[in-house]
Amino acid sequence: MLAFIIRRLLILPIILFGVTLIIFMMIWMLGPERLIGTYVKSPEALKSEKSVERLIQKYGLDRPAPEMYFKWLGNVLKGDFGYSNVGRQGVLQSILELIPYTFELALYALIPVVFVGIWLGVIAGAHQDKLLDHGIRIFAIVGWSLPDYVFGLLVLLIFYSYLKWFPPGFLSDASMKVLRDGPWKHYTHFVTIDAILNWRFDILWDAILHLVSPLLTLSYLWWAYILRITRSSMLEVMRKDYVRTARAKGLSEKVVINKHVKRNALIPVATVSGGMIMQLFAGTVIVETIFARPGLGRFTATSAVTLDYFSVIGAALFFSLILIVTNLLVDISYALIDPRIRLS
Amino acid sequence: MAMNTESRRVLRKLVKNPTAMLGIFLLIFFILVAIFAPVLAPPEPGKDPFKMLPAKTAEGKMIWSSNPIAPDRAHPFGVIGKYDVWYGVIWGTRSAFRIGLIVSIISSLIGIVVGSISAYFGGWIDEILMRITDMFMAIPFLVAAMIMTTILGKGLDKVTIALIIFGWMQVARLIRGNILQAKEEQYVLAAKALGIRDYSIIVKHLLPNTIFPVIVQISMRMGSLVITAASLSFLGVGAEIGYADWGTLLNYARNYMLQLDKSWFAVVYPGIAMVLFVLAWNLVGDALRDIFDPKMRA
Amino acid sequence: MQKKLLVLFACLLALTLFAFAAAKNPDTIVSAEYGSAESLDPHAEWDNASGEVINNLYDNLIKYKGQTIEFEPMLSTAVPTVENGLLRDDGKTYIFPIRKGVKFHSGNILSPRDVEYTFERGFLADNSSGAVTIIIEAVSGGAFYSIADWFEDYAGMPLSEAFDDDRVPTSPEARAKMIAFYNEVIDPLFEVDGDNLIVHMRNPFAPFLSIIPKYAAWGSILDSQWCIEHGEWDGKADGWWKWHDRTPEESALHMKDAGCGPYKLAVWDQTNGMVVMERFDDYWQGPAKTKTIIFKAVVEYSTRKALLEAGDADVILVDPIYRYDFDNNPDIQVISGHPRAQVTSIHMGWRVKETSEYIGSGKLDGKGIPPNFFTDINARAGILHSFNYDALIDDLVNGLGKRVPTDLPEGFLGYDPTLPVYAFDLSKAEKAWKAAWNGEVWKNGFKLVAMYNAGNEVRQTACEMLKVYVESINPKFQVEVLGVQWPTYLKATREMLCPLYIVGWVADYPDSHNFFSTYYHSKGYYGARHGEDYAAFAVKYLDPIIDAAVIESNVSKRAELYAQLQKILLDNYIAAPLYMPQGLFVARKWLKGFFPHLIRSSGDSTPEFYYAWKE
Repeated sequence: MLAFIIRRLLILPIILFGVTLIIFMMIWMLGPERLIGTYVKSPEALKSEKSVERLIQKYGLDRPAPEMYFKWLGNVLKGDFGYSNVGRQGVLQSILELIPYTFELALYALIPVVFVGIWLGVIAGAHQDKLLDHGIRIFAIVGWSLPDYVFGLLVLLIFYSYLKWFPPGFLSDASMKVLRDGPWKHYTHFVTIDAILNWRFDILWDAILHLVSPLLTLSYLWWAYILRITRSSMLEVMRKDYVRTARAKGLSEKVVINKHVKRNALIPVATVSGGMIMQLFAGTVIVETIFARPGLGRFTATSAVTLDYFSVIGAALFFSLILIVTNLLVDISYALIDPRIRLS
Repeated sequence: MAMNTESRRVLRKLVKNPTAMLGIFLLIFFILVAIFAPVLAPPEPGKDPFKMLPAKTAEGKMIWSSNPIAPDRAHPFGVIGKYDVWYGVIWGTRSAFRIGLIVSIISSLIGIVVGSISAYFGGWIDEILMRITDMFMAIPFLVAAMIMTTILGKGLDKVTIALIIFGWMQVARLIRGNILQAKEEQYVLAAKALGIRDYSIIVKHLLPNTIFPVIVQISMRMGSLVITAASLSFLGVGAEIGYADWGTLLNYARNYMLQLDKSWFAVVYPGIAMVLFVLAWNLVGDALRDIFDPKMRA
Repeated sequence: MQKKLLVLFACLLALTLFAFAAAKNPDTIVSAEYGSAESLDPHAEWDNASGEVINNLYDNLIKYKGQTIEFEPMLSTAVPTVENGLLRDDGKTYIFPIRKGVKFHSGNILSPRDVEYTFERGFLADNSSGAVTIIIEAVSGGAFYSIADWFEDYAGMPLSEAFDDDRVPTSPEARAKMIAFYNEVIDPLFEVDGDNLIVHMRNPFAPFLSIIPKYAAWGSILDSQWCIEHGEWDGKADGWWKWHDRTPEESALHMKDAGCGPYKLAVWDQTNGMVVMERFDDYWQGPAKTKTIIFKAVVEYSTRKALLEAGDADVILVDPIYRYDFDNNPDIQVISGHPRAQVTSIHMGWRVKETSEYIGSGKLDGKGIPPNFFTDINARAGILHSFNYDALIDDLVNGLGKRVPTDLPEGFLGYDPTLPVYAFDLSKAEKAWKAAWNGEVWKNGFKLVAMYNAGNEVRQTACEMLKVYVESINPKFQVEVLGVQWPTYLKATREMLCPLYIVGWVADYPDSHNFFSTYYHSKGYYGARHGEDYAAFAVKYLDPIIDAAVIESNVSKRAELYAQLQKILLDNYIAAPLYMPQGLFVARKWLKGFFPHLIRSSGDSTPEFYYAWKE
C-alpha cells in the first residue's frame, strides 16, 4: 500500500508537467499577434503600430514556446505564477482566494448528490422494473439531459424572481461588510464554518440562503448519474452467489441489502467519484455565472476565453492536482472497501 | 425468418423491457426526423442548411428584430433571436447525430487503439501510454475545449475536434481494463502458443469479447455530447451564432428565461428535443448493457 | 387578547408592506454591471468599468458644464482660454491656477506640485495598456504616442535597450541619457509657478483641454505625497525608469486611491468583483448625497434583471435589445434616446493583402475578389446602398440609434444633420454594381467575407443583413459572414486582411479630431488599415484638412474645414456609419438625480453618483 502511494506521488509532478506543457503549447500556437488580445481589450487601446510591438516585446510573445515555457516554469518554482488579467492580481493569489468559494460549493453539493443519489439508486435497484424504478430513472434522466444553465435559470426564476426566497450572489452586502470590516476572524475561509466559529448565526443563515439555489442546480444533474451507477451495480451484486446464499439462508431482504449489497455496490460509485468531482467543479462554471458567485469555475472559463494564459495554466494546474489527488484517495478507499482488490 | 437463437434471445429480452422499447422507439423517431429534415423544414436552396438565416414573416419580409415571436401559422414553434425554432429543432436533430456519431466513433477508435496496445503489450509501453492518458485526463475538459475553440475558432466542427482530442481517455482505460483481464484467458494463451500474430489476436479474438462495454459507453455518450456542446455554447465557445442546433436555440432563450411567458417555446421545444434524445440513448444504452453483460447471462 | 394580537399582526404587516414600497437601503446605491474594473490606477487602464470607479474617487483640473461639452473650472480655478489670457503663445502654453483648500482623502492639501507630479508620473509610467498615450500625443503636438518613441527620438536609442529586465541601466551612457531625457524633455513640459501649474506644449494641439476634464480617468489628479510615501515614483530624475510601464499590480494605485474626489475607496474585492466606495465628508464641493456606492459585476443578464426587479440592485446595465423588457414594471424607470459618443460603421479595405484568406480566389471570377476590389467607387457605392439602415436601428437596437452622415457623433464640432445619408436603395445599388469594374463584377459575380468581432450581436446582424440584400441583387454575388474572436479580429484588421468589416469607435475625448483622424487619416487607427491605395487618396485629399484642423484654434474656421472634409467623404463613398447608438438608463424609480453625459464612462446608463440619491 505504501509503495503504491509513494509511486503515485512520484508520478504526480510528471503528469503536472505534461499537463502544463500541453496547454502552454496549445496557446502559444496562436502566435504573438493573437496573444496580445489578452492585453488589449479594445481597439482604442492601441494608438500606434509601435504599441503592438512594445506589448509583444514586453511579454515575450514572439519568443519560441519552449523558451517561454521554461521561463514560466522557473518563475513557478520561485513561487511566481504571473499576473492574472482576469483576477486583477497575481495568479496564485487569485486562485488561493477563490479556492474556498468553489470548494465550499462543490463539497456541500457532494452531500445531496451522494446521499440522495445512492438512496434513490438503492430503491430503484431493489424494485427493479417496477413502476417506482421506472419513475425514479426517468426523473433522474431528465435532470441529466438538460444543459445545466437551463435548469439554473429556471431555479433563479422560481426561487428568486417569483418567491424571492433565495437571492443570487455570495452574501448580502451587509454580511460582506462584516466579513470585511469585522468583527470577524477568518478561521477556515469557509463562510459557513467561520460563521459558526464566530458565533454569527445571522451570517450563517444568510450564507445558507445564498447557497440553496446553486446547490440545487449543481446537484440535480449528478443525482441522475450516481443514481444510475448505484442502481446498476445493485442489480449486478444482487445476482451474485453470496447474495443468493444469504437469501437461501433465510435472511430478510432488508438485511441482505444493507449488509451485503450496499457495500459492494459502492465500489463503482467510488470509481466514478474521481471523475465526478472534476465534473462537479466544471459544473460550478455555470452555477457561478448565473448566481453571480466567485469561484474557480468562472475564473477558469473566463481565462480560457480571453487567452489569459498565466491564469489558464494556473487554474488547469490546480484542477489537475485535485483530480490526481482525488483519484489517489479513491483508489485507496477502493482497497479499503474491498480487500480483494489488488492495487496494481 | 431464420434467426439464430442468440439474436432471438436478444430480441426477446428487448421486447420484454418497456424502457428499452421506449428508447428504441424514440431513436427511430429521431432518425426519421433527421433523414426527412429537408422535407420537414426546407432550407434555402443553394445554401448551407445548418447556417440558419433570419426567419421571414408570413408575407416573406425578413425579421431583423431579436424579440421573441410566439408560435403562429408561419412559425409553428415561434421565433427566437431572429431564427425559426421549428427549423432549428428539426435540423438540430441532424446536428445532434452528427456530433454524437463523429465524436463517439473517432474518439472510441483512438481509445481502443491506445487501450488495447497498452494492455496487450504491457510493460513500459503500458506505463507510458497510461501516463499520457492520465495527462489528458487531468486537464479539465472545459478548459481544454475552450482553449481549442479559442484557437481554432467558433464552430461545431471545431468543437467536434476538441471533443475528440479530449474524449478518448475513458474508452482507453475501459478497454485496457477488460483486455488485461481477458488476455490471461485460455484461448488467448492458446492462440499465442500457436504463433498467431499479435495484431490478429487483438483484433480477431480480444476485441470482439471486450468491446461491448465500449458500445454501451458510446450509446451513453451520444446524449451527453449534445449537452456538452450546448454548455460550450453557453460559455460562448460552441457552435457559431445561428447554427442550427438545440444548444444554440436554448442559448438565445437564456436572456429571456425570466420572462417565460414571452419565450416559453424557445425553451420548451428545443429542451424537450434534447431531453428525449438523451433519454433515448440512455435507455438504449441501459438495454444494451443488460444484453451484453456476460454476468447477466448466467 | 386575540384581538390585540390581530391588531399587532396587522400593524406589522402594514409596516412590512410600507417598508417594501420605500427604497431599500436608502443610504446605499448598488449598480450591477457586466464587467469589473481592470485597475484603479488612473494611468493604467482604459476600460469603461475602471473609468467609472475612478471618476468618483478623483477630480480633474476642469470639468464639463452639466450635460454639455463646454468646460468649467474644477481643481483649476479657471479654464485657460485665449480671452482670459491663460492660453498663450498660439496654443503652446496653458496656465492653470490651482484651487486652494482642497483636501485629499489622505488629509493632504492640493497644491500645484501635485498636478505637476501627476502629469510627469503618468508620462514616465506610460503603461502600455493605459491611456496616457493621448496626453502624450497632445502635449507633443501629435509627434509622439509614447514615452518610448519620444525617448528614442531624443536619445537615438530605444528605451528597451536602455535598461534591462531588472531595471538596471545597461550602461553609464544609457543612464545619463535617461536622466537627461527627464531633465531636458519631460520636466520642462510641466512647471509650477507660484499657485499655477503651467503646461508647455511642444506644439499646439487644439483638443488638449478636451482630453483632461473630469470623466477622463487619465486626467485625474493624484496626491503626490501619498504616492511617494507608498512607493510610487519619487519625483527624481535618477531612477525614473524603475517605474516605467510596470504591471498593474505593481502600482500602489492599483487597489488604493490617492484622490480628492467625492468618494473614498472602501474596498475593491477582486474575488467577488465588487467595489465599495464611501462618502468623503471633507470633499471640497460639499459631501455627496449618498453614503455608500457599490459596484457589482454580474455577468448574466437574467440575473441582473432579477436583482433590479427585486430591488437588490438600483441600476443595471441593459443591452438595447432588451429595452422593452421593463415596460410593464411600475417600479422601474427607463430613460432612453440620449446620444452617445460612439459610432458604428462599415469600412472597406481598398487594398487587401494578396495572401489574405478572406478574398477567396483573389480574382473577379465569381469565387473571390481582387485585392484592390474597393478602389472602384462603384463597388463601394454598391455596398453602401445595399444596407437597410432603418431596419437595423428600428428592429435590432429597438430604435436606440440615430443615423449620422459621417463617422462623427451628434453634438461634435462639424456635425451637420443636413448632410445627406446613404439611402437604402437596391436599384441604386444595382446600378453601381453594374458599373463596377466595367461590368466585370456584374458578369462574373464575386465572393467576399464580411467580418465582425464575435459576441457582438448587432454587428453580426448587420453583416447578415448585408449578405441578404447584396445577394438578392444578383445570384452571383456571395457574401460570407464571419465572426471571429477578438485576437483574430485584431490581427486581421492590423494586417489588412479584411476587405469588409464593421467597426465601432468610442470617443476618447469629445473632439471631432478623435473621430476624423482615427477613421479617415492615412495614419489613423482605422484609416491606416485600408491599404496603400486609400492611403494615397487620403494623403492627397483628407490628411491636409485633418492636420490643419487640429492645430486651428479658431472654432469657426475648424468647422469650415470639417465641412469640406465631410463633403469629400460623402461624395466618394468612403464609409457608411451604420448608426450612432443612443443611451439606455434602466433603474428603480426611487433612484433620482440621473443625467446622461456623452463622455462619462457608462454615462448613458449610470448616474454621476455625487449627484444621485434614493427616496
